[in-house]
Amino acid sequence: MIKVDGLTFGYKSTETIIDGLNYHFDAGLVTAVTGPSGRGKSTLLYLIGLLLSPWTGSVRVEEAEVSSWSDMRRSVFRASQVGFVFQDAALDASRTVLDNIVESSLYNRMSRRHAVTRAVELMDRFGVALRSDHKPGEVSGGQAQRIALCRALVAEPDIVLADEPTGNLDVATAQVVVDTLVHLAYDEGRTVVIATHDPTIVSICDQVLEL
Amino acid sequence: MRLLVEAVRSAAAQPVATVVTGLIIAGACAVILATTGQSVQAEQQVLSRIDEAGTRSIVISDTVGDAGITNEAVDRITRLSGVDWAVGLGPATDVRAAGIPGGNPAAIRFLYGDFPPQIRAARQPTQIGEAVVGPEAQKTLGLQVPVGGVVGETDYAVVGAFDASDPLVFLNRSLIARPGPDQRALRSIHILVTDPARVADVTDAALLVLGVDNATSVAVETSETLAALRAAVAGELGRFSRQLVAIVLGAGLVLTALAVYGAVTSRRKDFGRRRALGASRPTIIALVALQTGVAAVSGAVIGTVITGVALTQTSGQAPDTPFTMAIAILAVLTAVLAAIPPAVVAAYRDPVRVLRVP
Repeated sequence: MIKVDGLTFGYKSTETIIDGLNYHFDAGLVTAVTGPSGRGKSTLLYLIGLLLSPWTGSVRVEEAEVSSWSDMRRSVFRASQVGFVFQDAALDASRTVLDNIVESSLYNRMSRRHAVTRAVELMDRFGVALRSDHKPGEVSGGQAQRIALCRALVAEPDIVLADEPTGNLDVATAQVVVDTLVHLAYDEGRTVVIATHDPTIVSICDQVLEL
Repeated sequence: MRLLVEAVRSAAAQPVATVVTGLIIAGACAVILATTGQSVQAEQQVLSRIDEAGTRSIVISDTVGDAGITNEAVDRITRLSGVDWAVGLGPATDVRAAGIPGGNPAAIRFLYGDFPPQIRAARQPTQIGEAVVGPEAQKTLGLQVPVGGVVGETDYAVVGAFDASDPLVFLNRSLIARPGPDQRALRSIHILVTDPARVADVTDAALLVLGVDNATSVAVETSETLAALRAAVAGELGRFSRQLVAIVLGAGLVLTALAVYGAVTSRRKDFGRRRALGASRPTIIALVALQTGVAAVSGAVIGTVITGVALTQTSGQAPDTPFTMAIAILAVLTAVLAAIPPAVVAAYRDPVRVLRVP
């Protein structure tokens, strides 16, 4: 479970985006973070994912105040416990699909062999196995997002943070991604947080946090 | 190890940045080898010529013949720190070839101490009454082959030839014999020190342990002035070389830093993604430094090999291998050092700014 207490943050000192937020994101549930653009949906995900540090307040994971950890410790936590899915997939265009998926193993002490085995399973599961030796420029947007999903899950993280994961996808591919995220929460007990303003996704989530 | 493999893969995946860094380092190596490398070789040749003139030699002479220098002094001097070898020479006397009545005389001298490397002889005189002949003395005596007998105050059997080089080349005009047990008086002691810088110290020490009866008859010739000249030449040329290397590497450092900064600036999204996936700041810094190092190693190898081949073909002399290796290693280290500031910038850049989609 992730718990935020009195979370306050802004990119400029004069402009507070998140002001004193208290909330908890339960494991085994899908939580939607929604609201108009510029209200801090993505920012909240980056705070939970420890890419940003709050001005005040804290982020706790299983009672540990992870937001006060050193950069090194936060990086280790992010590499092993957090899986990010970005709106634009954010794949390395110069590397193969397989290399992209196993990249996080470089930072979390997982052996490359184990990471490749796990990546092959995930690629089979998400229907992108035939694309493993392709470059990201040679796959479709839907396939790129599924590859990004594989990358987020290769380290088997407890927390999955998805920032507008279906923003650039067609309806069918978006459904595959959403089904996968739901499955991760319900069947695997992970904490899934989705930043979205898509009412369809919001409707299937167990918790909704409106900013 | 995996980070190094990742750095190699990243270098291969970003050919423009890799080639630019490699070219800068290759150019730095080429410029240094073509300028300072040649200067170093010239310096070594000049120093070698000075050394040939005997920058390490000391000669202690009995000018009158009453100083009382004995063979024990040679043993004492040989044991001094900084002495490569020391030999003593007895007074010269004339001998003529036994089979050539009225032939030209040549000088024969006793040599006390081991034959130094500067006297090459197939067979040394091992017994009293045996002698070896120098090439000029052999001609003077009219000996067709370096064997036979010579006559004088004492008769000797010539058992072979020798050929002496600096600083004992003057011995080629003489014959060398082993002294008898009662022939202890020496006219000169020739010393070679291990390092030109030690000539003055060894001279002082040798005079202290000489143990003569009449010090006023002792004269000392040293190569101290030549050694000072050698030190001055080495210092001046070395200073010039070091300055040139520093200037070229300094320019390489600045250019590499700019190239790496340009590369990391164009890869902001790449580093943002890596940070989101769990790369720590030290990991990002190490990755950039290693990637630059990979490019620099390639550049250093290419630069030194091409320049080495070109210099060998144009000047007929290959660059000094240790110097070339040292320059290549120094250039790679310079490139890695130059990559650190841009790497720190990349590591501390806010990943969220590049990951957010407007």
